[in-house]
Amino acid sequence: MKFKDYYKILGVARTATNDEIKKAYRKLAHQYHPDISKDPAGEERFKEIGEAYATLKDTEKRAAYDELGRHPSGQEFKPPPDWANQYGNQGFSFEDIDLSDLFAGFSSGKRHTQHQGRDIPIPGQDYELATQISLEEAYHGVTVDLSFTVPEYNHQGQLKHVPHTFKARIPKGVSNGQKMLLRGKGGKGFHGGRDGNLYLNISFIPHRLFSIKDYDLFIDLPLTPWEAALGATVKVPTLQGAVNLKVPAGTSSGQKLRISKRGMPKHNQEHGDLFAIAQIVVPIHLSDRERVLLKELTDISTFNPRAHFE
Amino acid sequence: MNIDHTELMWLDEHHELSLNELIELSGLSQAELQQLVESGALIPNNPAAVNLTPETWCFNSHCLVSIRTLSRLKHDFELESNALALTLLFLERIRTLEFQLRALDQTKESDQD
Repeated sequence: MKFKDYYKILGVARTATNDEIKKAYRKLAHQYHPDISKDPAGEERFKEIGEAYATLKDTEKRAAYDELGRHPSGQEFKPPPDWANQYGNQGFSFEDIDLSDLFAGFSSGKRHTQHQGRDIPIPGQDYELATQISLEEAYHGVTVDLSFTVPEYNHQGQLKHVPHTFKARIPKGVSNGQKMLLRGKGGKGFHGGRDGNLYLNISFIPHRLFSIKDYDLFIDLPLTPWEAALGATVKVPTLQGAVNLKVPAGTSSGQKLRISKRGMPKHNQEHGDLFAIAQIVVPIHLSDRERVLLKELTDISTFNPRAHFE
Repeated sequence: MNIDHTELMWLDEHHELSLNELIELSGLSQAELQQLVESGALIPNNPAAVNLTPETWCFNSHCLVSIRTLSRLKHDFELESNALALTLLFLERIRTLEFQLRALDQTKESDQD
């Protein structure tokens, strides 16, 4: 088992009073709590802070922790041999369990994790996972593989973190940032307690062509100046395959052309729309003939796009 | 490995949770949730039911997101029950503002395109 210096984590002396420990915890919690802090490393840091506080705020747990002595953080160490006996199992080993698991079920001066509170149902832990899916997957629905580790007791009564993997079907109609609840897919409940739940945060991987707002999709539609001026029928990709779009004559950059019901599916079987945003694109290299024609156009055209400047 | 179709629930404005489900999923007690409703911080979907027994209340499943955050904050900061309503109001206000900010950012992006 690896040692963790709970006093160091909270930044307090080993002689700190309960009040000092509480104050130090609150200060750090304000800084790192994942529901408050925007620091991406906050969650990991808060886990450590919470773990340290859970042990040090409880007089019995703190006394037991102090009994373990002082070791450098991260160093392998073994609790006194009599601790294993107190777990009530001869085969009990401290080799690969976590210090927090050791103290988690520790109360009323008993170290009998697996025996303590035998009849009290303990609900399994809830988990939150994030998954990213593509727009195409969101459009059609997708089955995703989810994996995470959950604490479980083995037949020796030892708490172990075991990998938990399963598939979940995300139906079509999901929106970016949508949260879902998978009941009973979190940690196992103990003594008849319900299994924990899994919360899934779904976000979309940015798409090469489409951007999304609510259920509507947007695509940049590059047009030549002459297509924009004269009108044209152009092929536009959609999530259900390409469609022919009639671009009206006199289309300017930024104008939105609506392709009805080609956006994302909604709950009620309806669809959002797809908007093609006209972008007039000019060739970098002109042929001699193109240059002549454009020069001719410049000479005869009276169109002034900057009339409003005057 | 098994494929889950049935146990998946969307947390959004289209799906509902009963008070009992909210108790089970949020970790808050019935008394705490009742206090949130009475203070107006948590509004049932059927507002007329506020005056009826709590068993008749139902909520947008979306509220579970804020209520769970509230439950975590209560546990980790040892919040007293009368701080819960205020905290929930602030959480909801932050959620609304973040939503508006995202919408504004998206509009700005498509304007720049």
